[in-house]
Amino acid sequence: MCPQRPPGTLAAMKPQSMAVETHELSKRYRRVSALTTCTVTVPEGRVCALVGPNGAGKTTLLRMLAGLTRPTGGTARVLDGVPRQNAAFLAEIGFLAQEIPLYRRFSAEDHIRIGAHMNPRWDASLVRTQLTRLRIPLGQRVGTLSGGQRAQVALALTLAKRPRLLLLDEPVAALDPLARQNFLATLTAAVADGGGGLTVVLSSHLVSDLERVCNHLILLAGSRVQLSGDIDTLLTEHKVLAGPGDDAAGQKQNLTLEQMVVAYMGADEASGGKHLTTIGEGS
Amino acid sequence: MTWLVWRQYRAQGAIALALLAAFAAVILADGFQLAAHWHSILTTCSGNNACLQQQEPLVNGVVSDLPDISLIVPTVLGILWGAPLVAHELESRTTDFAWAQSVTRTRWLAVKIGWLLLAAAAYGGVIAALTTWWSGPINALSASAFVPGQFDTQGIVPVGYAVFAMALGIAAGTVARRTLPAIAVALGGFIALRLVVSTVLRPHYMAAVTTYYKVTGSFTPPGQAWVLGQGAVSRSGVVVAQGWGDLYPALPASCQRLLPTSPTGKSGSESAVFSCMQAHGWRGFATYQPAGRYWPFQGIETGIYLLLAAALIAVAFAIIRRRDA
Repeated sequence: MCPQRPPGTLAAMKPQSMAVETHELSKRYRRVSALTTCTVTVPEGRVCALVGPNGAGKTTLLRMLAGLTRPTGGTARVLDGVPRQNAAFLAEIGFLAQEIPLYRRFSAEDHIRIGAHMNPRWDASLVRTQLTRLRIPLGQRVGTLSGGQRAQVALALTLAKRPRLLLLDEPVAALDPLARQNFLATLTAAVADGGGGLTVVLSSHLVSDLERVCNHLILLAGSRVQLSGDIDTLLTEHKVLAGPGDDAAGQKQNLTLEQMVVAYMGADEASGGKHLTTIGEGS
Repeated sequence: MTWLVWRQYRAQGAIALALLAAFAAVILADGFQLAAHWHSILTTCSGNNACLQQQEPLVNGVVSDLPDISLIVPTVLGILWGAPLVAHELESRTTDFAWAQSVTRTRWLAVKIGWLLLAAAAYGGVIAALTTWWSGPINALSASAFVPGQFDTQGIVPVGYAVFAMALGIAAGTVARRTLPAIAVALGGFIALRLVVSTVLRPHYMAAVTTYYKVTGSFTPPGQAWVLGQGAVSRSGVVVAQGWGDLYPALPASCQRLLPTSPTGKSGSESAVFSCMQAHGWRGFATYQPAGRYWPFQGIETGIYLLLAAALIAVAFAIIRRRDA
């Protein structure tokens, strides 16, 4: 159904397996195209930033990868399977939606028990340890917790599934800087604990946050992929493009992730929807 | 999955059980009193039908209306539990939590719907059983179990109503994705269907039996039959239901003259009118569903509601499976 390696990827030459591999993945809602021919790969063990303006298709892409939304075109392979409504597939995916969905009248402990009944692998002690460490009351209704605490509860519950792919949709958008930092610290620790077995795709507007935790990038604008690949590789390439020339001494300006992202955000308009995909997996 | 359903509904379930216990307590207390009264009547009359017919109705006041509570139970179940089942989870986005676990949407819906339909059937069934038991003496004295109103609260039909109302609420919530419109549809749809089925469809589940008899005599179908219509019919086929006002213009002039000005007062003149009518070829008639059809009718009506419930549940599944989350 889906070619093992989309044409043109360097990944075909590398032994590293892909956690996410999409080929011309598209989603149309009646007349609106939410995602257009999206071809990206995320190697296993990476922390991938999914950035782009509002309405760029970030949520659509994440929900398709999670098996919640069906594509209208193209194919996706996630952890060597097709995203679908299947218990074995769903068990591998940790998906945290934008609104931090929890049962507001239930306590964290209730959620832990619900998770235990709905997942084959369930690390209840991980959630309890984590939340106790953060001094988040386990027995209190989550509706009465602060936004940052709720996000931590939701992330801990998502991690308790012991997923191999973590899909996080703007999890820090509503959080204050401290809560954001704590959230990302938890995420970083989880990736470190995973020992390369956990892949993360994380969407956000806050590029400065992403710079610290992510090593891979997918940039969407106007429902299309504008840029994707290893962040260091992308920065080096763009430095080369922007750097030399008139400067004889070879003085290269240091391009930040933020500068690069901002430059491409408007690329959709400027290039008339030209497909600017750069791929550079591995490092 | 079952634990999630238990956690979500245990508080409401406890309230529902408490209400059921209160209903049962009143029904049982009153029912034993009623049964005792009925036994004393039986002893007094010792098989004398005329004596039984002179007895006053067995219940008065508030308690006589108590079984009517069971008429609104299905609607309440459909509104409070059925409509929010999917709609409220979509509204509060908790589906994004539930569907992110290692459980497919289909299974999530199947377990939730399964338990709630079971709860509705059990709840409707217990109330129906209590009401049926309570109504025993009244059924025996008034032979009224088949009559609309009594028929709707006894036997197995309340189970069908409860399951249907729940299914309607669930399906409406799944289609509308919002609780409030789903409640409106569940309420309106249930009442409308109940009215249509009980007044339009039910009399025709089987072809009614019509018995003709001498207009001077009288006729009561045996047992707890459901009389759909009774009156007089002329030789040329003019049908007049009971009531002097309707009868007068239909009568031949010779009989009209015999009609008493105040019909209730002079029964002697009434029999003269009947004799006159018989001489002109009028017959009495009664159209009814015989008592033996009570359970077949209960079965047919329950079947209709269960089939409709199954169709609604199928719609809910089709939508949840196909629609993007």
